[in-house]
Order: sequence, then structure tokens, then C-alpha cells
Amino acid sequence: MTEFHPLVKRLLDGEATLADLPPELREQGAAALRLLGAIDRTPVTLDPALDARVMAAIGQRGRTGQSPASRRALRWLSEPRELRLRVRPWVLGVGLAAAAGLVAALVGPRAPQAPGPTVPESAFVSFVLYAPGATQVALAGTFNHWDQAATPLRRAAAGDVWTVTLALPAGEHQYAFVVDHRRWVTDPAAPAVDDGFGRRNSVIAVGGPGGHRL
Amino acid sequence: MLFSRGQLPPPAAAPRIECTNSTGRRLAAADTTVDGAVVRAVLAGDIERYAELVGRYRDRYARYAARMLGSPDAAEDAVQDAFVRAYDQLRQCREPDNFAGWFFLILRNRCFAEGRRDARRGTAVDLDAQPIAGRGSERPDAIMEAGEQRRELQLALQQLTAEQREVFVLKHVEGLSYEEITVRIGGSVAALKMRMHRAYDRLRELLRDRI
Repeated sequence: MTEFHPLVKRLLDGEATLADLPPELREQGAAALRLLGAIDRTPVTLDPALDARVMAAIGQRGRTGQSPASRRALRWLSEPRELRLRVRPWVLGVGLAAAAGLVAALVGPRAPQAPGPTVPESAFVSFVLYAPGATQVALAGTFNHWDQAATPLRRAAAGDVWTVTLALPAGEHQYAFVVDHRRWVTDPAAPAVDDGFGRRNSVIAVGGPGGHRL
Repeated sequence: MLFSRGQLPPPAAAPRIECTNSTGRRLAAADTTVDGAVVRAVLAGDIERYAELVGRYRDRYARYAARMLGSPDAAEDAVQDAFVRAYDQLRQCREPDNFAGWFFLILRNRCFAEGRRDARRGTAVDLDAQPIAGRGSERPDAIMEAGEQRRELQLALQQLTAEQREVFVLKHVEGLSYEEITVRIGGSVAALKMRMHRAYDRLRELLRDRI
């Protein structure tokens, strides 16, 4: 029998005292309290140099917000590296001919071209939430540093529909609605991603289809 | 983007942490607005101000990490990594005023991940890392006995599941109530009690020669 009696567990939880236990359980209760008496509550102090190590590490990273993947990509592109090529002579001849053709194509006369579509630098985005019973709705996201006071939504005349329109820079933004200052609500009409801490953020990509140029 | 389902989803768990300092005393939640201002300044490019957050919280969760991982050295690595990861993801911090609670969740994830790695590697617990806190009025053999019991309990704690160990540490080392633990890590009081009671039974089994 290795399980504590339920009353002894209540004793360990601080919901009962030794005197509350029946006499036949007091020995087990006393042993259980000795277990708690052996707990090490000694404060742990970390190396004073930890602060400097953290700041040195983030100093190498630049401004926050760059993902580790993008940092790795930038590093891969910027670091010099050695390339070794083994070329057969006849392949070299074909390659030189192809390169000459490419140069001729690039420097030769070209017909004027109409300007192609460009990615807008920013776009208007309307956010709409149907929130019956809400008295206040705000929008918080990466574009306003998750400031719940920065972007309140207006209640539409219909009653329970809340809207706001923002000009957002091109790129991906994460956001959520905050209802009545306390309830975080993802946008049901947008994809959502895990924020890594058990909650979900909605995601919008500005610059793709759906927005219009300013 | 129209919310057409007619009902709001259930409220998201938003940990609002009431922190304790390293001696177990409750800390007032007075730093929160300061934290929010610092987080916003860092996001705006004033990177050096991140040092304020590091200085403020570096020791606050060190004991939690040490008991979760089995040694102060492992705790130090975990806290350092958690600060760097928090910096990387600072734009995802939805409640800058609650940086402490958000940082705790990052450190917690780090401790759980380290625990999983250790389980695969079979890392030994550093039982000699913590000095035995001697009390002047006790006999030397009593101090030795107390130190031995402390080591045995710490070794036994490392053999619990990470979830069991965490609830034990938060309740009996950090001194939080079940309700405070639910605010910190989510879940229900009933579920936490069940986890804790299984931890008690497991500890009794592991320490059966002692208790």
C-alpha cells in the first residue's frame, strides 16, 4: 500500500490539521508532514553576468521581431562561402555560348513595357466583429504593439456589429479583438496561428488579393 | 470579416500573475505598467531597455526553474534562453503590461522541453549544487539528516512527471494556492488536485523507506 489516505492528502494540501485525522491515521499524517518538511525552499540566485550574456545575445540579433528562420536566411546570404566547381571542357564551351546569348538579349534593343502590377505599400483593411452584448470592442495586434486602447471599434447602427478600418503597411500582421477589456477573441473570418503559449492570433497578409491601393 | 456564429467563444485563459519573490513573499503587481512601457520602448527600437526586464525578473523564477530542472546551473541556462526567446517573440506579447506572466510561460515551456530532452538523455540530477542551509541551533547530525532528506526528496521530485513536479513546486516551494496556480498555468482546481495527489502517492512510493 503506497498511497496516502485521502484525509492525509487533505492534510498535505493544507485543508486539514493533524488533529483532524482519526488516531489511526496520525502516524501516516506525521510522516507525510515530514515529507513537506524536507522541501528545499532555499532562494536561487543566478550568475550576475547573466544580464550581460542576454544583452549580448540580443545585440547580435538586431531589432526584435525577426524570426530565427529569417535571421538564418540573412546570415546564409551574407556570409562568404567557398564554392568548388568541376567543369568538363565541352560543357564550358556550351556555357560560354549560352552566356553570350544571354548578354545579347539583355543589352539588345527592347520594346517599351507597360508598368506591371506592384505590391502596394499599404492598404485599407476593415475589421468587423459581431459581438452581441458587448459594451466595448478594441483591436490589438502587432501593428499597434498589442495596445488595447489604441484602436477601438465603433458600433454600427445595426447594434451588435463593431467595425474599424485601418491603413496597414504591407506584410503579415497578427491581431485579436478584445471584448469588454478582458476577452480575447480571434477573428472567425481570418486564419489563426498558435502564438506558442496556448492562445491563438488571427493573421492578415496585406499586399495580397483583397485590399485596394491607397 | 464577419463573426456570423452569433456567440462569442469562451474567454481565453489570460494569466494574470501575482508573482512571488525568491523568499516566497508576495510581490505587489506594481511593476506592470512600467513593464508595458519598457516592452513598447524595446519594440520601438530602444533595445537597451530590455536589460530592465532582465534585471527585474532574472531571479524571480530562478527557484522554480531550478526545482523543475534539478540544478541551479540548468536553471540559469533555461532563464537565459527564455529571455532571449522572449526578446525574439516580443511582438507576440499581447499584454505588455503582463510581461511577467508571459515570460513565465516561455520559461515554463523551456523547462518542459529540457525535461523531455533529459528524459531521453538520462541526465543526472545535480544534488550537490545546493548548499545545505544549516541552522545554528541544530546538532550537526540533525543538519546532516535534514540535508540528506532534502537531497532524497529532490531526487524523487525529478522522477515525477514534469506536470506533477510543476504543481508540487508551485504549491509547496513557491507557496501558491491551487487557485493561484490555475491562474498561472490554466486548468481547473480539480484537475490540479488530482495531479498533486498522484504526485503525493508517487513520492511516498519513491521514499517508502523514509515515510
